[in-house]
Amino acid sequence: MLILTRKLGETIRIGNEIEVTILDVKGKQVRIGIDAPSDVAIHREEIYQIIREQNILAAEAGRDDAIGGSLPHLWKRLKKAKEDGA
Amino acid sequence: MKISTTRFGDISIDESRIIRMKEGMLGFEHLKRYVLLTQDKETPFLWFQSVDDGSIAFVVIHSFVVKPDYEPVIPDAEVRLLGIESSGGEEVVVLSVVTIRSDPFTVMANLRAPIVVNAEKMVAKQVILVEGDYPVQYSLTENKAALEAQARKKRTMPPSIPAP
Repeated sequence: MLILTRKLGETIRIGNEIEVTILDVKGKQVRIGIDAPSDVAIHREEIYQIIREQNILAAEAGRDDAIGGSLPHLWKRLKKAKEDGA
Repeated sequence: MKISTTRFGDISIDESRIIRMKEGMLGFEHLKRYVLLTQDKETPFLWFQSVDDGSIAFVVIHSFVVKPDYEPVIPDAEVRLLGIESSGGEEVVVLSVVTIRSDPFTVMANLRAPIVVNAEKMVAKQVILVEGDYPVQYSLTENKAALEAQARKKRTMPPSIPAP
């Protein structure tokens, strides 16, 4: 990993089109401004992790006893379920 | 071609029904080809079955059935990647991945990272939405009245295959 030290207000350029600027530092929090072309996806790392976990859970849920591998059964069970999820 | 699945045994699939994912599902990046399987006409759920690994299948649902006022803004990059051309996006179908837990019984749909399908070109991508602040876990159990009403309406879907 390339490690650079930057001061408040200073910028890092990645390639020709991406700029990362340190906007603010307060204690353990750093505010970062990113300028990038619209075709570059920018998300917090956590969201990838959450969605990956959801997908893995979803792939397992398909095998779950709750529906016995049957979508009609899932639909029936969902219609019968109370709105509070009981 | 024929594929072997854990849930449905051997299935014959027409290659034209294969949906190609540019980057795979998050966490399943190595699996790039899927088919939609249906089990009956009543249920709004479908299987998103991996062609390359017969043990992997996701339960999915049309996102607008889950939430009729859903307004996913597909970023430009994904629009280009999926070759979406029409301004009205008629060829676009948005599906949500469903998670099911048995105890207590809960059914959740992921509205934050839908599978966006170009049903004409049969290509898809799981897109993380930037705008709208949609939940990763939207409860279908808690919103089932709306879901039941929506499920009766016909929706455009990519070509699917009846599960044996």
